[in-house]
Amino acid sequence: MIRTILVDDEPPARDILREFLGAYDDVEIVAECVNGFEAVKAVSEHDPDLLLLDIQMPKLDGFEVLSLLDRSPIVVFATAHDEYALRAFEVHALDYLLKPFSETRFRAVIERVRERLSRGQPRTAVAPLGEALRKKPLQRVVVRSEDGSIQVIPVTRVDYIEASDDAILVVTGGAKLKKQQSIGDLANELDPDRFVRIHRSYLLNIERIEKIELYAKDSRVAILRDGTRLPVSRSGYATLRELL
Amino acid sequence: MTTREPLLRGQLAIYAVAAVAAVALVTTTVLTWRPGTPLSPIVLAALAPSLLLGFISLASRYLCRAMPLRSSSATSIITTHGGSAAAASGVWIVAWNASASALGQPVPDSTLLFMIGAMLYVATVTVHYLVLEVETSREAEDAALRYRVLAREAELRAFKAQVDPHFLFNSLNAVASLCGTRPADAREMAQRLAEFFRLMLRVGSLERISLGEEIDLVTRYLAIEQVRFGDRLTTHINVDAAAAQCQVPPLLLQPLVENAVRHGIASVVEGGTIDITASLHDGALRISIDNPADPDRVVSPGEGIGLQNAAGRLNAVSDGRARLSAAEDSGRFHVEIELPR
Repeated sequence: MIRTILVDDEPPARDILREFLGAYDDVEIVAECVNGFEAVKAVSEHDPDLLLLDIQMPKLDGFEVLSLLDRSPIVVFATAHDEYALRAFEVHALDYLLKPFSETRFRAVIERVRERLSRGQPRTAVAPLGEALRKKPLQRVVVRSEDGSIQVIPVTRVDYIEASDDAILVVTGGAKLKKQQSIGDLANELDPDRFVRIHRSYLLNIERIEKIELYAKDSRVAILRDGTRLPVSRSGYATLRELL
Repeated sequence: MTTREPLLRGQLAIYAVAAVAAVALVTTTVLTWRPGTPLSPIVLAALAPSLLLGFISLASRYLCRAMPLRSSSATSIITTHGGSAAAASGVWIVAWNASASALGQPVPDSTLLFMIGAMLYVATVTVHYLVLEVETSREAEDAALRYRVLAREAELRAFKAQVDPHFLFNSLNAVASLCGTRPADAREMAQRLAEFFRLMLRVGSLERISLGEEIDLVTRYLAIEQVRFGDRLTTHINVDAAAAQCQVPPLLLQPLVENAVRHGIASVVEGGTIDITASLHDGALRISIDNPADPDRVVSPGEGIGLQNAAGRLNAVSDGRARLSAAEDSGRFHVEIELPR
């Protein structure tokens, strides 16, 4: 059985997916989601084989949903927008359906899914988003906490990011939110003119800087508007000086 | 757009000085020279004062610019230029006298010199005024052209922004979807789409339509979006009978309402209500559009173009008297238009 989750915020769009999927005996719809939050939750609950995913949705878009998944099912995007096709390819989506799509086109998708599953290809870990997003900096950071709730933080509200073991802490308004990603990967996705790697373990939103002080010989400290003090390495200071 | 080079700059100024000086030189030489005497000493004596008169005449351009024909009274123009003509001629006579005595040449009759100087001065003033008139009308032409180009650009942008192609694709997807389960609804949706586009093409070619007609178009648009968004979209439209009679540029509200759906309703999980009101206050038409919008939504590059277009078109049709303001506050987006009649 191909265990499938379909995600679209528009009822008629879900209807046609459900109708087309109904023609295949080996496909089972395990969940239907109307937004990105539900999708992330449903994927971690059901661990499906196939995710039929809209891109433009409230709160989380399709790409943000993928970035929050621990394991990625086979992903097929279904959207009216053709401008995301390149990005979809870069996050290793199996296919890209342009709405409205025909039954013949949909059958081809299902056949590709069957083929991929029969080859028993190991499920890939979450596709690296960094490469795909580098062209356009992230506008918001999405974080999934341990209880499963999801927070969407516009980058303007991120104060700084701190490396913590194998994860990072996104600091916003005093709150520290844990995210499973390396600080280097996130640095690549964020706007380099706003977020500066001031230290091996710190990525700072430069709009938060109150002043930079000499702390000891060759070592500096950044003092933020809220009084937080963060260490600044020598190369971090060089980058800062270039920007400010 | 490049501004045209003002006349009488650089080379042209040299020509002007040369022309006045040449006329002064020739006339005074002819009047002073007696057959049988050598010509060249007289030409030499006339040269310096003639050049001086040329420069003085050129400088009168500043006086002309300070006293434009349109905004100055005839008496002040006549007295000012009369006075400066007399002064210029005086300087010219004195210069002639000095030059002639230095070179030991006879001086022409002062009355004749005065008349030549004054006439040349008046002639240059006339030329200055002509040139200034041409420049002013050229500037006015340029400004009118610039304005027409801007208005046209705003129209074009508005026309392009009228319909988001994704609206069409998503609506067609809804039609395709309904075909399978609710064929009667599919047929109705297809008809709604056709009627909406037909109406939009028709009003798009008109100069003005009544607000009532625009609201009709917007209502049809929202009915289509209703099928896509289901319970997430509700609409309240409240338009006074008097406001509905007002004339507005076509497709003024349609792109704004489309924004309210695309960037507003579509960004909110639970959806919400789009509120459209229009009424007359002291003879001015006031329209407001209010919708929910997620403050944390990813702002697409196209967002704001619809507002800019609407503001540009309002400006073009009201000569800048109309007002459009937009504000976003605690999860709601609000657009307000005031159009004086």
